[in-house]
Amino acid sequence: MPREFEHTQFAHCESGVVSTLVSQKGLQLSEPMVFGLTASLSFVYLPVIKLNNMPLIAYRQLPKNIINKIAKVLNLTIVTKRYKNAFDAQRDLDGLLEEGKLVGLQTSVFYLPYFPPDMRFHFNAHNLIVYGKEGNRYKISDPVFEEGVTCDPKDLAIARFAKGVFAPKGFLYYIDEIDQTIDMAAALKKAIRKNAKVMLIPFPYGGVKGMFTLAKKIASLQSCGDRRYLTNFLTHIVRMQEEIGTGGGGFRFLYAAFLQEAIGYGLPQKPLQQASELMTRSGNTLREFALLCVQGAKNPDDFDAEAIAAKLREAAQTEREAFSLLKGL
Amino acid sequence: MAKVQIPQEENATLGGIRKVMYAPSEDGRFTRHNYGSSVEEFATKVAVQEYEKLESEALRRIADKEGSAVAYFMYKNRMDLPTLASVTGLFQFQIKRHCKYRVFVKLKDKTLQKYADAFNITVAQLKGCNDAPGV
Repeated sequence: MPREFEHTQFAHCESGVVSTLVSQKGLQLSEPMVFGLTASLSFVYLPVIKLNNMPLIAYRQLPKNIINKIAKVLNLTIVTKRYKNAFDAQRDLDGLLEEGKLVGLQTSVFYLPYFPPDMRFHFNAHNLIVYGKEGNRYKISDPVFEEGVTCDPKDLAIARFAKGVFAPKGFLYYIDEIDQTIDMAAALKKAIRKNAKVMLIPFPYGGVKGMFTLAKKIASLQSCGDRRYLTNFLTHIVRMQEEIGTGGGGFRFLYAAFLQEAIGYGLPQKPLQQASELMTRSGNTLREFALLCVQGAKNPDDFDAEAIAAKLREAAQTEREAFSLLKGL
Repeated sequence: MAKVQIPQEENATLGGIRKVMYAPSEDGRFTRHNYGSSVEEFATKVAVQEYEKLESEALRRIADKEGSAVAYFMYKNRMDLPTLASVTGLFQFQIKRHCKYRVFVKLKDKTLQKYADAFNITVAQLKGCNDAPGV
């Protein structure tokens, strides 16, 4: 099967990789389905954790959430391995490829030479699939790219053993057994309810409330005299949303797509349809929010903190509505 | 049905790739679409430029005999303190000290080697940068 493997481009690396791995085992599952089934939509604003001196802002669950949860949700066996040294890691990878398996890897974007220079930051939780070898080089299906790419074993080893936050430690995974008789409707219902719980959590730095807290922080920046910090902070919010996320609130569109697809599995149409539209609207609002952030960053002398904060609050309110609908599913 | 605009702008930071996003097609069903966003482009550029600024500031500090090559190469490799600490196995407070000129010149080769490995350069290059910044 992997001999005629076809590369697909996805919106998000982890959901894309898992979607490919599961589908290749015979259970056709789209990227939005993988994302939704593992209840991956989230919002986190944690000012105490710093990445490049900026607060942690995430628009989805932390990396590896999908890989960790998919096995339980779909009752399949996913084999995961971590390594102490690059030699063992590569030997195992080669062995699995020999067997014709598709192998998922966690890597650091910074050390992957096929990435354009401007995209290479120390982000350690980038997922990709290795599907074969071409001479000495690995054939890689990287969900960010339009086409398949190749990579030198030496560079790949460095990327797999990058250090820092979310250090991959050679993390490798593949799917072993798959249960074709899963009760999808029940799994979907459970996942949606769980996601609603996550988004409506009564904790000021998570979910909808986290969005309000971030809005408050933005509003307080009006009197901030440090323009360089302001520019960096505003674009940091956007980068967390777009780069590590996808397409301006892209995770919201991904979740909206999931809700729409879920209707096809016999779930109640009305609340799902409505929630899907609300999530689409939130995605649009977040995109406008990103635009305002960038405009503010371009012109820090004349920026309207309150307007930016208001946009984020609007998105938060929309999501609160959507998940209130889904909570009692 | 809510509509979604798919931006088709230039994004030079992606080196020719176009990312995908999900958006409803004509019939309202979600599918993948290629897009390019100038908002993303700007955000990435600011981040890249911020590192360039930090780099040139670090160089100036070396010339003033205040800063050291450790700081310069840290920014050149787009690292922050926690990342460099994790890569070298040193503590953050140690690295902060090593970022000072007068501390750096007294460092042993063994310590310098740790930095050189982290930055993928030689100890000579590291020392050289400290003696003649920007060459």
